[in-house]
Amino acid sequence: MTPNIAIIHIETPHWRSIPLWVPLFLLWIPAIILSPVIFLVILGLSLAGKLNPWRSFRVLWDLLCALPGTHVRVTADGTNVRVRIL
Amino acid sequence: MNENRRQILEMLAAGKITAEEADHLLAAIEPDATTTTEFNGRIAGSNGSAETPVKTRSKYLRVLVEADESMTGLKGPTTVNVRVPMQLLRAGVRLASLIPKQAHDQLDEALNRHGVPLTLSQIKPENLEELIEHLEDLTVDVDGKDGNTTKVRVFCE
Repeated sequence: MTPNIAIIHIETPHWRSIPLWVPLFLLWIPAIILSPVIFLVILGLSLAGKLNPWRSFRVLWDLLCALPGTHVRVTADGTNVRVRIL
Repeated sequence: MNENRRQILEMLAAGKITAEEADHLLAAIEPDATTTTEFNGRIAGSNGSAETPVKTRSKYLRVLVEADESMTGLKGPTTVNVRVPMQLLRAGVRLASLIPKQAHDQLDEALNRHGVPLTLSQIKPENLEELIEHLEDLTVDVDGKDGNTTKVRVFCE
C-alpha cells in the first residue's frame, strides 16, 4: 500500500505544534496528471542506463509501497521533531 | 510470474540446469511458510503437550543514536531514533541492483579505499532473504571512547 498520511510533530522549548497530518494521498492527483512525463523520464533513464524499464518501475513502486511504517524522531537542542508515515 | 522464478524456468528450458537443480532453486526462493511466520509465540506439538518456539519475523530495523553536548556542540543531548520497515530494506537492496555496472565498480573501489571490503554487485535479490534473515539477529552497540559518549544501537524488532 502506498503512503497515505504523514504525521509531523514539532516541539520546541517555547511552543508545541499540533500534530500536522499531511494527506499524501492527495499527491495522487498531480502524480496522475504528470504520469506521462514521469513515465517518459523513468523510461528514458532506464534505457540510458541499459536497464529493464519494467524492473525500474517495479523497484520504484516497491520503494514507495514500503514507506508506511517509517518513523523518524530527532531531538536536539531542546527541539523534538517526529515524522511518521502511515 | 516472479522474475527469479521465470529465470530459473528459462534456465531449465535452455537445458542449463537439470529439473532437480531447478526444483532446489525454486524451493530456495520460496521461503517455507512454516519457518517464517508473523505469529509471535509458541505452537503446541502434535500431542498438545510439547511446545515448539516459533521464530518471529522482525518487521522493523531500528537505529538509535545518542550523542552528548561535547559531540554536537548543541545544548542538551541529541538523539535520533529511526524505525525503518524491513520491506523498505528489501526494496532498497532491489534498488541497488539497478545501479549501473560502472557505478558499482566505483562504489566498490571507494568502499575498499575506506576500509569496507564490500562488493555491492554481490548483493543480489536472490540472496536478499538470507541477508535480511541474518540481519534479524543483529544488534550493534557502539559506545564512544573516553570522553565521547555517543551511543549507536542498531537492532531489529
